[in-house]
Amino acid sequence: MRARDNPFAADRVERIRYRFAGASLDELLTRLEEMNYRGAIVGPEGSGKTTLLEDLHEILERRGRRTRFLFVNDASPLPEAECRRLLSELTPQELVLLDGADAIRRSSWSLFRRHTVRHAAGLIVTSHRPGLLPTLIECSTTPTLLKEIVTDLTSRTRNVSPILLDDLHRRHRGNLRTCLRELYDLYAQET
Amino acid sequence: MRKLSIELNDGKNVFAPGERVEGRIEWSADEDLKALELSLLWYTSGKGTRDAGVVHSKRIDRPGAFGSDTFSFTLPSGPYSFSGKLISLIWALELTCTPGKDTVRKEIVVSPTGREILLTGLAGQGRGQENQPGEFLKRILGVQHASA
Repeated sequence: MRARDNPFAADRVERIRYRFAGASLDELLTRLEEMNYRGAIVGPEGSGKTTLLEDLHEILERRGRRTRFLFVNDASPLPEAECRRLLSELTPQELVLLDGADAIRRSSWSLFRRHTVRHAAGLIVTSHRPGLLPTLIECSTTPTLLKEIVTDLTSRTRNVSPILLDDLHRRHRGNLRTCLRELYDLYAQET
Repeated sequence: MRKLSIELNDGKNVFAPGERVEGRIEWSADEDLKALELSLLWYTSGKGTRDAGVVHSKRIDRPGAFGSDTFSFTLPSGPYSFSGKLISLIWALELTCTPGKDTVRKEIVVSPTGREILLTGLAGQGRGQENQPGEFLKRILGVQHASA
């Protein structure tokens, strides 16, 4: 199968947006307001934290909020000097969305947390573990969610075996990103 | 409601590197648009991170609520349109309007052979066969779904 025809190609997967299991997006936004726009999206790898933060980013911008989206991981770290420079540029009207808060050094995080209290309109982060900021929402996945996403990505006439999906979800410990990559490889073998 | 369209001259959608890509764009909206941007670009699709390159673009400020315009871009010498199992490189014309995110895209093929280059492992694949599940894929489909 050509990469462009693979239903699990990265660009197709990226179009899948966050799906709420319980609370709705409106409820989340209300909660965010109640938390004075300071909170953490918490969850394990591949549970949708970044997707949800991106969705929030788009909604907040659409509502006229000024935002600054920062992405940090081991490959794109945030050295302390860079952190200080970013913070010095912040305006009190800006809402900071920080993806990967637990990937920045403790000293930089400390600086970030304190500085944004006074010098930003809010701070929303993603983190693998709770405790950096009050938890806004905990993300998790289920085999049912994986099935829904796979059904949307493949045509409905090509449903992947539910047994395979249950097994994938278990083996990848709920990490939907790696589940979908394995499905990419399975489909790629199709010639 | 907005309507954007891209038409290529003579319906041609396969080009040789260095050739000119010419056509016409049309737009209509309920309100005046701020800007339109037409880009000639390539992007990758596949397993890994996406890559993309904009080769030419044409911006029209304050195009009004409706209208049309012609375009003519010269293709570079590469990259060629190609597909393997891990990555495809796709050429396209993309028309975007602001405000909003309305976009229309028209794919083209850029190749010296007149066809997308198929990498090893796909070279023998016939046209139209990619939508038919093969034996390997059938194995990962549920028995009850395999013939669906």
